Amino acid sequence: MRKRAPWLKLMMVLTYLFLFAPIIVVMVMSFNTSQYGTLPFVFTTGWYQRLLSGVGLGKATWLSIWFSFLVTLAGSLVGILTSLGLRRLPETWARRFISWLNLAVIIPWLVLGIALLMIFNFVGLGRSYTGMFLGNFVCVLPYVVMLVYPALMALDKNVEYAARTLGASPRRTLVTIVLPSLLPAILTSSLMAFMVCFNNFVIQYYLAPFGIRTLPMEIYNLVRVGYKPDINALATIMILVSVSLVLLVNKLGYGSKKGLF
Amino acid sequence: MTKSRIKTWLLMLPGAGTLLSLVLLPLSLLLLFSLVTGNQISLSGALSFKNYLNIFKQGLFGPLMWKSIRMGLLVTASSILIGYPVAYGLAKVVKPRWRNFLVVMIIIPFFTSQLLLIYSLMVMLQSQGPVMTFLALFGLDPTRSILYSNTAVYLILLYQFLPYMVLSLFSSLVKIDDNVVFAARSMGASRRRVFIDIILPLTAPALLSGIILVFIPVAGSFVESNLAGGTKGMMIGSLIDSNFSVSLNMGRGCALCVLFLLIMSVLTFILQRAIRYLERRRL
Repeated sequence: MRKRAPWLKLMMVLTYLFLFAPIIVVMVMSFNTSQYGTLPFVFTTGWYQRLLSGVGLGKATWLSIWFSFLVTLAGSLVGILTSLGLRRLPETWARRFISWLNLAVIIPWLVLGIALLMIFNFVGLGRSYTGMFLGNFVCVLPYVVMLVYPALMALDKNVEYAARTLGASPRRTLVTIVLPSLLPAILTSSLMAFMVCFNNFVIQYYLAPFGIRTLPMEIYNLVRVGYKPDINALATIMILVSVSLVLLVNKLGYGSKKGLF
Repeated sequence: MTKSRIKTWLLMLPGAGTLLSLVLLPLSLLLLFSLVTGNQISLSGALSFKNYLNIFKQGLFGPLMWKSIRMGLLVTASSILIGYPVAYGLAKVVKPRWRNFLVVMIIIPFFTSQLLLIYSLMVMLQSQGPVMTFLALFGLDPTRSILYSNTAVYLILLYQFLPYMVLSLFSSLVKIDDNVVFAARSMGASRRRVFIDIILPLTAPALLSGIILVFIPVAGSFVESNLAGGTKGMMIGSLIDSNFSVSLNMGRGCALCVLFLLIMSVLTFILQRAIRYLERRRL
């Protein structure tokens, strides 16, 4: 259908402008000398030097990276197990289970964070690394199942039957047939889980141990205090990382073709 | 029980355990904790409805909840109005080569920190920032700014949640066979009629999930209004949060959460019914 649809295209251009102009402005401003993000534009890389010389953000960044890595590992493992189990259930049950699991995404994280904080206080865990880990884990799990389960259902079962009739054990079938064909979905869901955990401000804000600040919490404080050009530099780096991860996900075959959602 | 049954249960155990102990149990215990007064959570004391009485006596809950619902509906409605044309354009009008690139662009916000999105829009809106400098060309005072107002909060929320609606609608629109639309058009249906009688019913489930993905988080947001709302920016989320971060009254905070969840469930149910009605209009 090759229509011109000029007003529709105009609407799209305006929408993309709305979505990306702020990001581009922040990127440009990160190279600007002015303290307050105002014109005229004078080129500098000073803000990056200041950022990299470490104003305390380095520590929080490493904490967030390590922490998200562990959560992703656990989330992917449990997510894969759950998807394998769901496949063995009737599809209506599986769908129902997934929609219950999605509660962790649909309910505002403010409420979930508070509910988790209360129960952790109640059992004596309080604000702790364990609590923060569990809280982020439960937010990440639905994303993994949401991506891995449909990929698992789309596999041709005959290939597995063939392997089984040719004498492969169930474990061998899983390792040599099922998991390799799920690899794109598993990688995509791990990347997604990592980013969701890395950026999950609200849950970390409620569950992080006292005195410990993850990167999103540091950014929150910086933004609340006011405009600081090093945030521009940090934002530029983080957005570039996000863009490369999105491109990677797209290379894995997700995105417009299979639909991430 | 057969061996394969046991295996299924074993595979489901970690996921189901997580769902039970970290989602369903904490949410139902909120109800219990909301009956405990004060900041110390112990169930030895007497349970009472004091928290709820205090909330209604204080009188902040009603107006703030109403404000959050209004904000949620406004952002959702705007994202539907913008989302349909954009998703339709992505699914049906742009060339396939461009389509992939443009959809990937829309996904980027999912992989970016929510706080950085908020921050970058705040930079745009600040006084003497790009937007105000541009508006100054039309004679507005560039040192004034709409930052720290409800308009700023609205724009930031729309900015954050519009991609959810676009992606949700896109994934459904892209599956509609072009020939269905062709057939309707060639038999004389107007564009409006095609939209109401074909596109809307076929995309109703996606519209519903888009609405849920936008409306509920927006109504429960508090970071945006804390950062960019200024003094009058308070929403129900900020009120709930303040019971934990400022005034330390956990029992009352839990009671607020319960009321919030209750009202949101009722509203979601109504929205669901409304969308089902749209779906049934399919000819």
